[in-house]
Amino acid sequence: MSDRIKYNEPYAIEMRHITKVFPGIVANDDITLQLRRGEIHALLGENGAGKSTLMSVLFGLYQPEKGEIYKDGKKVEINDPNDANDLGIGMVHQHFKLVDVFTVLDNIILGTEPSTLGFLRKKEARKKVMELSENYGLNVDPDALVEDITVGMQQRTEILKMLYRDNEILIFDEPTAVLTPQEITELMGIIRGLAEEGKSILFISHKLNEIMEIADRCTVLRKGKYVGTVDIANTTKEELSAMMVGRDVKFAVDKKPADPGKTVLEIEHLSVRSRLHKKLAVRDVSLTVRAGEIVCIAGIDGNGQSEFVGALSGLEKCEPGSRIVLNGEDVTKKSIRYKNTHGVSHIPEDRHKHGLVLDYTLEQNLVLQRYFEPRFQHGGFIKFNEVREYSEGLIEKYDVRSGQGPITPARGMSGGNQQKAIIARELDRDHDLLIAVQPTRGLDVGAIEYIHEQIVASRDAGRAVLLISLELEEVMNLSDRILVMYEGEIVGEFDPKETTVQELGLYMAGARRQNGGEGGGEK
Amino acid sequence: MKKEKKGLLASEGIRSVIASLICILGGLVVGFVVLVLLAAFNENISFSEAFTGILTVLGGPFSAGSPHDVLFQFGNMLFQATPLIMTGLSVALAFKTGLFNIGAPGQYLMGAMGALIVSLSIPTTVVPAVVVWILALLAGILLGVLWGAIPGFFKAKFNVNEVIVCIMTNWIAANVVSWVFSALDKASNGFFINHAETKVNFIRKTATNGVATWSFGLNELFGGSYLDIGILIASLIAVALYIVMNKTTFGYELRACGFNKNASKYAGMNEKRNIILSMAIAGGLAACGAALWCLNGAQDFKWETYLTLPADGFNGIPAALLASNNPIGVIFAAIFLKYLGAGGSNLAAYTSFNEYVSPLIIAVIIYFAGASKLIKDLLGKRSRKDFVKIPDKPIVTPPEDPPAEPEPEEGPPADEPAEKTEGGEEK
Repeated sequence: MSDRIKYNEPYAIEMRHITKVFPGIVANDDITLQLRRGEIHALLGENGAGKSTLMSVLFGLYQPEKGEIYKDGKKVEINDPNDANDLGIGMVHQHFKLVDVFTVLDNIILGTEPSTLGFLRKKEARKKVMELSENYGLNVDPDALVEDITVGMQQRTEILKMLYRDNEILIFDEPTAVLTPQEITELMGIIRGLAEEGKSILFISHKLNEIMEIADRCTVLRKGKYVGTVDIANTTKEELSAMMVGRDVKFAVDKKPADPGKTVLEIEHLSVRSRLHKKLAVRDVSLTVRAGEIVCIAGIDGNGQSEFVGALSGLEKCEPGSRIVLNGEDVTKKSIRYKNTHGVSHIPEDRHKHGLVLDYTLEQNLVLQRYFEPRFQHGGFIKFNEVREYSEGLIEKYDVRSGQGPITPARGMSGGNQQKAIIARELDRDHDLLIAVQPTRGLDVGAIEYIHEQIVASRDAGRAVLLISLELEEVMNLSDRILVMYEGEIVGEFDPKETTVQELGLYMAGARRQNGGEGGGEK
Repeated sequence: MKKEKKGLLASEGIRSVIASLICILGGLVVGFVVLVLLAAFNENISFSEAFTGILTVLGGPFSAGSPHDVLFQFGNMLFQATPLIMTGLSVALAFKTGLFNIGAPGQYLMGAMGALIVSLSIPTTVVPAVVVWILALLAGILLGVLWGAIPGFFKAKFNVNEVIVCIMTNWIAANVVSWVFSALDKASNGFFINHAETKVNFIRKTATNGVATWSFGLNELFGGSYLDIGILIASLIAVALYIVMNKTTFGYELRACGFNKNASKYAGMNEKRNIILSMAIAGGLAACGAALWCLNGAQDFKWETYLTLPADGFNGIPAALLASNNPIGVIFAAIFLKYLGAGGSNLAAYTSFNEYVSPLIIAVIIYFAGASKLIKDLLGKRSRKDFVKIPDKPIVTPPEDPPAEPEPEEGPPADEPAEKTEGGEEK
């Protein structure tokens, strides 16, 4: 082990026997976490295992029922995030907390602005930020507006924010979920650099490859309980996943070769205007998806995938000349309900915005597109028994876990189980076409394995599957055909057996395109 | 999934009720402080009167002098609560759909206009009074529906904030009503307006055309008050609304739109139609309240409305808030507000405090009502802590075993244990 880790000093942070209970569920049950100075410590667990709760306790957002927190061997009370900040604890949240219309510099100093008589001393702040940025290799443009910069730079801004506040303990909550492969490599380098400088790092993730690559030790939680802490040098990916899930997990997706049948979805010359900047976000896309195959659209986030799916599902309007044909019927102008009831299932990208009514209970959410069917209503009155029975069936079949079963408010469920609920709902509806947009985003390996199995099963049952994913591993594993989308256009079509992640990456970044020659001339 | 020992506070409904009670109590305490201060600065009022004063407010109609007066005031309290129940329902329904219907006063005025014109202009000598009554009620509701649909339409089609359009429609209604009545009156040679000496500001009472809501002796039972079956009609509508909101697909859609417009759209609901419908129904409810009030037969409706909006329209907002937007709760919230109103009149009548003090106390209670959600949440926190004292065995554990693997034969069983021991050795 390198000598950056201080074995002889007291733990930088020690959380002892933390117990946190929510109505109906013990989120953290007697959990102990010990972080050494200079260490990169991974926190691994499935969704709903209690990782976020534990970090919220450390960050002062929740008060535990039992347990103590020690910093450098001294007991501390953390009652709110300000306390945490005073103790030098900083966090990069999964969803960044930045003000979009402020510059990078303004965001970094926000809350601790140096000022004289109410006037900002920005020069001083800028100097400190630039120093930090240089020391740690965090390349940012201090004067760019946050809304104009890449996700990777936004993340570096968040990291600088912590460093600017002289935080010693840095928490990264699933930092790689939103990054491209190149950005992930860069981030790993940054995190290593931070540890070398004596920062202690908590790295929350359920991506085993990353943990194996970067962490020194890893603490595993399962269903709110402490499973163990292992040295990464002495463990394997398989062992970690078994600890996390409680059983062995397959990483490769088992699937038979595709046996495509009739064409289910035909898209011709689809163009969609962005709501944001009114320019074409999707340009003249034509593709077909046949029954019994999984077609995947790969691409870096923000290359028109959201608008494409929006137009396909009916949430967005498409430009004149576009044509969407489902089972031989032109549905370009049909309503969302019509598509829903004529064979389209859609796992949406944003489960909170579109997928769920968070203030409704689980069972109410499970019938979100079916409540009007004769099975669930009679003369306009909802048949509550029928809804309950149906949702209990789905909950059991798809193993959706929640505090109070069908009557749990969706808001109170963990992200993974919310996603499972959506998947249960969409797969259980009669469908010929399944549109799955990042179906495993933010999920753990156990859940991913399960969802992949379900998607393959849907394909094998003769459904057409259109998968939109940012995760290349998922793309390679799952699809029968890969289309790469770059700046709203399909720039290449690949057979997953004959291509590599590197090749896809080049197309995703716009460096190359098929049948249009080299992509150097693109704007 | 059994919960052992649910604390009293664990139930959402009970928390709501307790929170409302705490609000009322807080309002009364502050009201008492106001009375004490007034007594302290006014040498004509003794401190003991502050005490009798707050009791008078708290006593509502029961603070009246004689048993007959108590009955009379009680009857009038129920009668006056009728339109307030309806405007409260109007606001509550819109809230449930995620809309703020501050247009209830305008809808109320339009409802009054529709009901009055129809009930006065169809002679009961030709058409039976029952039919006229029903037509008048429907006319009022119809106008309210149209009036409510306007902000709904603008919200749905152009995403204009409904509050702005509601306030505009309020004042448009106030002017339209004055204009229509003065024009009608001129056209009909003074048929609509009561031109008796001091009554030029008022529309003729509908009873002059033989149209009045039946009271079935309720008015005499309650000391000759105005009480009629309007209160029963309003209560029935509240119950019906409760059923619609909670038991039907329509209510399910409306609430879904209120909670999450995007998800409703994704699910194929027509969220624009739902916004318009919700506002239209809200308008109809408020207008129905006005119609029920006017059709009592003995009420004076002031037709020069262009300078003022009816208080019952705005007071629908606190009524809905006090009831946490529960339609059944709105019945009690509205009666309670009028109960305090009666207490306020008695405060002016029977103590040395003047009539301006009672609205102040009522206002304080309404302020507290605004905080009822906060109090409810605090109660929720308490109950959670109580609830947690027995966590030695987990209250709910997710199923212990992972679900059976779907392919039992497929996996090579020999490999799995081998891998495990490998990992173990490395350790």
